[in-house]
Amino acid sequence: MMRVLLEVKPRKKPLLPIEAECITPASFLEERDLTVWKGNRELMLSNVFNVSVTGEVDSVDGVEVVLRGETSRIKRVGEYMEGGRIIIEDDIGMHCGNFMSGGRIEVHGNAAAWLGREMRGGEIICHGDAGDYCASGYRGEKRGMRGGRVEVCGNAGDFAGEHLSGGSLIIHGDAGDFPGVEMRGGEIMIFGDCTRACGNMTGGRCHVFGTVHEMLPTFRNMGEVVHEDTGQVLTAFRGDVANRGKGNLFVGNYQYME
Amino acid sequence: MSELLVKNAYVIDPVNGINGEVMDIAIRDQWIVEEVGSGAMVIDAKGQLTLPGGIDSHTHICGTKVNFGRYMSPEDMRAGRMPRRGSMHATSGYSVPTTYGNTYRYSTMGYTTLLEGAMAPLEARHTHEEFTHTPLQDTMANTLFDGNWAIMEAVRDGDMRRVAAITAWTLSAVKGFAIKLTNPGGTEAWGWGEDVTCIHDQIPHFEVTPAEIITAMITANEMLNLPHSVHLHCNNLGKPGNYTCTLDTFDLARDLNKNRQTLYATHVQFHSYGGSSWKDICSKSEEITRSLNSKPHIVFDMGQVLFGRTTTMTADGPMEFNLYRLHHNKWSNHDVELETGAGIIPVLYRRSNLVNSIMWAIGLELALLTDDPWQCCLSTDSPNGAPFVRYPEIIAMLMSRRYREEEMSSVHPGTEHRVPLPAIDRELDWEEIAIMTRAAQAKALGLIDIGKGHLAPGAEADIAIYPIQIRDVDPSVDYMKVKEAFATTAYTIKRGRVVARQGDCVVDGINSTIWVDPQVPPEYDISNDPEFVKKFDRYYTVRMRNYPVQDVYLERQVCLRPEVSL
Amino acid sequence: MKFDDVLCPFCGCLCDDITVTAEGGRVTGVDNTCLLGTSKFLGDNRLKNPIMRTDDGWKDVTYDEAIASTLDALLEADRPLLYGWSGTHGEAQCIGVHMAELLGAVIDNTSSVCHGPSILAIQEVGHPGCTLGQVKNRADVIIYWGCNPTEAHPRHMSRYTTYADGYFLDNAFRDRTVIVVDVRRTETAELADVFVEIKPGGDYAVLSALRAMVRGRDEMIPDSIAGVSKEQLRHIVEICKNAKFCAVFFGVGLTMTRGKYKNVRNAIELVDELSRHTKATITPMRGHFNVYGSNEVNTWMSGYPYAIDFCRGIAFYNPGETTAVDILARKECDAALIVASDPAAHLPSKCIRHLANIPVVQIDPYPNMTTAFCNLQIPVAVSGIDAEGTAYRMDGVPIRLRKVLETEYPTDTMLLGRIYEAMMEVRGR
Repeated sequence: MMRVLLEVKPRKKPLLPIEAECITPASFLEERDLTVWKGNRELMLSNVFNVSVTGEVDSVDGVEVVLRGETSRIKRVGEYMEGGRIIIEDDIGMHCGNFMSGGRIEVHGNAAAWLGREMRGGEIICHGDAGDYCASGYRGEKRGMRGGRVEVCGNAGDFAGEHLSGGSLIIHGDAGDFPGVEMRGGEIMIFGDCTRACGNMTGGRCHVFGTVHEMLPTFRNMGEVVHEDTGQVLTAFRGDVANRGKGNLFVGNYQYME
Repeated sequence: MSELLVKNAYVIDPVNGINGEVMDIAIRDQWIVEEVGSGAMVIDAKGQLTLPGGIDSHTHICGTKVNFGRYMSPEDMRAGRMPRRGSMHATSGYSVPTTYGNTYRYSTMGYTTLLEGAMAPLEARHTHEEFTHTPLQDTMANTLFDGNWAIMEAVRDGDMRRVAAITAWTLSAVKGFAIKLTNPGGTEAWGWGEDVTCIHDQIPHFEVTPAEIITAMITANEMLNLPHSVHLHCNNLGKPGNYTCTLDTFDLARDLNKNRQTLYATHVQFHSYGGSSWKDICSKSEEITRSLNSKPHIVFDMGQVLFGRTTTMTADGPMEFNLYRLHHNKWSNHDVELETGAGIIPVLYRRSNLVNSIMWAIGLELALLTDDPWQCCLSTDSPNGAPFVRYPEIIAMLMSRRYREEEMSSVHPGTEHRVPLPAIDRELDWEEIAIMTRAAQAKALGLIDIGKGHLAPGAEADIAIYPIQIRDVDPSVDYMKVKEAFATTAYTIKRGRVVARQGDCVVDGINSTIWVDPQVPPEYDISNDPEFVKKFDRYYTVRMRNYPVQDVYLERQVCLRPEVSL
Repeated sequence: MKFDDVLCPFCGCLCDDITVTAEGGRVTGVDNTCLLGTSKFLGDNRLKNPIMRTDDGWKDVTYDEAIASTLDALLEADRPLLYGWSGTHGEAQCIGVHMAELLGAVIDNTSSVCHGPSILAIQEVGHPGCTLGQVKNRADVIIYWGCNPTEAHPRHMSRYTTYADGYFLDNAFRDRTVIVVDVRRTETAELADVFVEIKPGGDYAVLSALRAMVRGRDEMIPDSIAGVSKEQLRHIVEICKNAKFCAVFFGVGLTMTRGKYKNVRNAIELVDELSRHTKATITPMRGHFNVYGSNEVNTWMSGYPYAIDFCRGIAFYNPGETTAVDILARKECDAALIVASDPAAHLPSKCIRHLANIPVVQIDPYPNMTTAFCNLQIPVAVSGIDAEGTAYRMDGVPIRLRKVLETEYPTDTMLLGRIYEAMMEVRGR
């Protein structure tokens, strides 16, 4: 087992984002210079973090990277990660776990927007809140997250699971506006409330155990069902009829806009 | 004055009948000359294949619809990103690269002259603005006349001189190069959400047929003595069974010009389908090439399809809508008042798809079944069939039966029963490839006289040196080497300067735009015609004074001024 | 001197039939303009020379000094922002992109706060559009959704839609049906044949319902959606399906309300659906006269219409992250160059507060609200009055701005060109 501790050093311009896509477990398997970007300046990883490495391994699965300190503006941590673990002790910046295909990221604070964007596999657990576009896609691309699992213990922002085409997104708190908008596959579970769930969905399944406010009028009410795991009675909808969609939306309560 | 000597070049220069001679090429300033002084800079070509600079006679690189292809596709843009480096600007995009992406990639492939396939006159300024940012090639624009109201009215009235006069004024006003007809009549019908199926349908309201428009424009083209012929995108593109429409269209063209073809048919692959539906679609390349082989006055380009992701874009608005209904991806459309239309959708051509596989085969068949390579220009109708960066694959496939067989083995298994490709043995040679990638284009576009497409003294010094010793290579076996060699030149020389070296572009460059200004006598100046002016003022949303493209948009230019016979 | 067929450098209508009279270095009269255009042409009160903020006010500086100081601010920054661009001509916008590339800056235009969402929607589903002449000559149904042309684009209806002469219409006004959809009864609504009043935030739901109804799924739509009766929706669907040519225009009422780009996407998909029944098009009502040009220039130069981040050398695009409004709100940039727009007048106060804390250089002919937040302002010629150049109308038609006054001021192209040249001297090529 190898443990990499990255402790953020005090910064002169702490609000400037740092792009650090080099922070993946695999990067620390081999001896090489790692660099990050502060705006338009390229810096050594060690200019921004105190780096300490303990232990040795020969496989990425045995690597654990811990980020400590003020990391809310560090972007792209865990991008393209294929295995191993990343633990973020506080908040994390945007695009954490982009394109991730394996391994596990644990965020103990809040995650900024685009957590797990275009994720393919692996697991992300965010103990705090997630920002907008959690488990979503990229501008113009038809398919967002394709596989893996994202679990948010707090609330999620708007557009959670936008363009979702595979994998699962679990939100224990509330989701904002338009969770599952344009989704075409995969699964979303929202234990709290949200507004306008699944606008324009064409496929996949979404459960909202709380209330969907401003429920869209273009979902066909299929009657009540009992959810197997929770025993809760949910109303089943199919849609979005606006676009020939064949998605399934199950909601605890719903209110149309009126 | 600058002098350059390219030594030990293994030259193929089809226009001048040179097929594989080791020679030196002397260059003074931008021209090839007999000899240069001893102080000239020397490039040792070391016996590598040396050709005139490549010419693409049908590509979509600049203008409203190309830019809309970029605008609507951030997912394509992120595929081809490079940072600013040396004299190269940053680039983005794969199937629709930024202007710098286009110019650098074409240049490193040895291309020095490009014809933008479709420019709406009303939006010509946009095309010229982008040309300015395409600095490493000379550029020209096909100008769209397929749904031009004034022309359709003149055709209806049988007034050929008026057709010619409107054409001349428009070409000159928008600094266009040639007449382009895209689904003639169909783009006007699309203004009402309709289309025409072939050349004898009536166009709503205007009481003319596509056949009448095509014939009239061919006549006008010759009256104006334009360097290029009418450049035609036939009606009914992309539909099963459309080959009969294509054959009928070819029959409209008679041999009217002794220097070049009378009709240039573009992306013929998309017009060579048999069958009655997507279920029984098949190749009709044999019928199409039989017609072409008997009509030396028609030149065409392939419109080859290659598997992968790309973006389709054309003035043929109704066709793109049909394609959208098949693909259900995003769809853009942009109709242009009194003139033409445009449509754009992204597509993915798959090997596992039977229709796509047939399309792939047809393009190759057209090139292999056409007897005279001067009649066949290599193209993908970039990016419609595939982005131009994939031309080397096409070259390699045309030169190697083995490569084709290998590809054939991984396409949809139903393909072989629907296409003649597996039975075709022909392998093109180096000279034929040189013809189909530059010499035939120069001839078809009428550019040989201004020094394009060849390497004799007096020619413009646009030269591509490819890193391959062709005497040591058997293309039918070493097709990968062929592909590699055509992908990146050792040197690309443009206007007498080395502009690209082993994949890097080394100068900023300034593009030069070639356009035509037919010398129409004052009595035929349509801008003085009260009826024309009245309708212009009334139905365009831009004032006539603000319509012509000002000189300031062409930093460098070559204006051709043909003498007309009205 | 009298000039005919001059372009109006105010809104996205880009009217090109203005007559301007100029005497003694000033515009003294205009014809054919709307009130907005008139005030632009007759506008006075230009800044005389570059001014620099000092501890106790402003001091006049030379252009050379101003350029040197601009260089210092931008070259030192780790994350400079180049914002604005909508009120200048294309040639200057091109230099802006080169500059961003050289500096590793973020370049963004005012789309960020107007039609950026339209662009995001188009990137998801495309854009079935046309030039305005198609609408003028053919459209028998016009829909204005979330926009108020009477106030924001005063000549839109007379030049391009309701009142414009059309080739295929005998009597343009009588033969066209005008539908206005908005959250309040605007002046434009007064001119409509049908006015649909939607509850704020209800656009998306109404658009979804219309799509379903065009598809014949009438039966599942509730009796009322966001304050609009099903009966009225049915009426609209009938009008649209029976139209020969249905042209939809939309404004910030759709792009800047809850759901933003999803509203626009839904409107576009409604037009896609209608295209299966008749001819239908949709056009965003762009605000600044050349905001669309800025999107076009950015796109052919960098690949993206706005919000382009060059900090890593390559172009990165992600509105919400790389948009000026978000960067400023998160206090991410450490210097800004503002060109041809007035962010203090249209960005949220949170953003403006950050502008006050970083070095800001503004290039603009007039003192404006942003002047109060900048450290240096450099006056230039006004595009379309004393500077020529290219502008793109809201429908993508490019027209060349005319110049009706001689001037001592440098144009944006000249000034930015000098700054860029000087940057290349420092940074190397």
